[in-house]
Amino acid sequence: MRPLDWVVLVGSLTSIIAYGLYRGRGSNTVDRYLLAGRSMPWYAMALSIMATQASAITFISTTGQSYVDGMRFVQFYFGMPLAMVILCATAVPIFHRANVYTAYEYLENRFDGKTRALASVIFLMQRGLSVGLTFYAPAIVLSIIFGWPDRLTTLIIGITVVLYTVTGGIRTVTWTDVQQMLIILFGLVVALVMIVLLLPRQVSFLDAMHLAGSAGKLNAVNFHFDWNDRYNVWSGLIGGMFLALSYFGCDQSQVQRYLTGKSIAQSKLSLLFTAMAKIPMQFFILFIGAMVFVFYIFEPAPLVFQRVEYNRIRQPELRARYEPIAASYQDAFTRRKGAALAMVEARHSHDSRAESDSIASYRRAQQDLDAARRQGASLVEATGGEKGFRDTNYIFLSFVTRYLPAGIVGLLIAVILAATMSSSSGEINSLATVSVVDIYKRHFRKGASDHHYLTASRVATAFWGAYAVAFAGLGKHLGSLIEAVNIVGSLFYGSLLGVFVLAFFFKWVTGTGAFVGMLAGEAAIFAAFLFTGISFLWYNVIGCLVVIGTGMAVSLVSPAAPGRPSQF
Amino acid sequence: MRSDSSEMPDEPPPFLGSWSRVYTAVVVYLALLIALCYAFTRAFS
Repeated sequence: MRPLDWVVLVGSLTSIIAYGLYRGRGSNTVDRYLLAGRSMPWYAMALSIMATQASAITFISTTGQSYVDGMRFVQFYFGMPLAMVILCATAVPIFHRANVYTAYEYLENRFDGKTRALASVIFLMQRGLSVGLTFYAPAIVLSIIFGWPDRLTTLIIGITVVLYTVTGGIRTVTWTDVQQMLIILFGLVVALVMIVLLLPRQVSFLDAMHLAGSAGKLNAVNFHFDWNDRYNVWSGLIGGMFLALSYFGCDQSQVQRYLTGKSIAQSKLSLLFTAMAKIPMQFFILFIGAMVFVFYIFEPAPLVFQRVEYNRIRQPELRARYEPIAASYQDAFTRRKGAALAMVEARHSHDSRAESDSIASYRRAQQDLDAARRQGASLVEATGGEKGFRDTNYIFLSFVTRYLPAGIVGLLIAVILAATMSSSSGEINSLATVSVVDIYKRHFRKGASDHHYLTASRVATAFWGAYAVAFAGLGKHLGSLIEAVNIVGSLFYGSLLGVFVLAFFFKWVTGTGAFVGMLAGEAAIFAAFLFTGISFLWYNVIGCLVVIGTGMAVSLVSPAAPGRPSQF
Repeated sequence: MRSDSSEMPDEPPPFLGSWSRVYTAVVVYLALLIALCYAFTRAFS
């Protein structure tokens, strides 16, 4: 990093945090600390919801995902608008009117204490695992740039996040989210413009899109249904809808955002705005990854983007195994570049036959290049590297640090760090809220003063920050981080969604039915995860349906006890 | 710890007159996005 990068990085992060702390002043009651006194406007909630979702993982892993696998990941978000409409019509008014701090508090009103406790514990397990991954992503950034150990990086970011989250509560979290989201959007546009400017002069933007498309990188939509295909329109619409229903309807890190709304209408508008903005934003991020792919058609890319492993497999003792792979990689790169230039020239001269020939050569070279990269990854694995090694998370950052000018690098690093801070602060804040409201206050210390619970909330925030830092290292074993986060979520969300569906729509279902249903739902999801090849997007559907079915069956054989009628 | 909001009214949206019309607009917007993504895929594959 050059001096200008440092100025941009430190200046932007400091101003974001300072602004958030300024807006968060006066958070001196539990209601203000955890729910901002229910005073937030819809646009702040919407940007906060998007920012909490758009972590550093979104920025660095999604672009790498597109480089490797194309843009089909965008289908994952197709179910979100449908989910938002359903939530606006059901959960948002119910939660607001139930007068609760957490989604799980509502479950006790509707069912009983054990159902609330189980849902809270499931949330704490799931979100507790994810927040560690959120911290790990920027650790990758700084380990590449400075060679700093992951643990130290995680610790520095963790302390910063905990300090401002403990100090300002959700109001600070929300307003830093707003600033962070604006910087992300600005950074995305700058990144795309820079990539296009760095392409060879004879390659136009339209040519670049044809080159990406011919290599299968612009595969945004696939209507072919396949249970085992991770991303197609149907898994996106149905599985993605269930995942979004679970995430936005049952995950406290999201529910807490729209519970801060001034009114039901403001909360609904925040969710609908998110629904409308999310797909274009993800499309744009994936498109950047596809353009990075095109850039590397003309500039030599390393065989392995993870610098430490790349240097290791080039050591003299591994040379005999590395060099044949590197030679075939170089040969494929040269052939692909030649075919790409021929393809561009044929397009410009409207020579359709030459264009077809060059596309065929280009695709063959791409297949050979992919094969060489797979061999490189296998070499990393076979010589002491991590099992299942993938360098997806390093692709975009390698490009940024190597090719972008001073100032822009600092801006994009600031975007990534700000995204991490914002996501993790929201997650930590929600973990603390559930720990205090649903566990501590409910089961250990009832009837204490407001000041006592405020202090407990601050202590819980610090605890979850420390927990996240401690478990951040898990990220290095999970391949593409963006997928890892969603897979972890899918292991737990289905049963949470199922119990809320029972609560909202099946008035006669009992607390015991809901409780047993959740346990059965978790068992079904883990069975699908461990013993089948079903794509993770379907776990939410499976878990939800098992909870509903089991909950109804158990309620039929064990009706509600007298004096404890089901409420709605 | 919280003030009572059980009577909180569901205000109409600031545009399109009713929430059902807003929801319909969101679903139509989704269909349009999928169609555009499909056209994009076909045009460059």
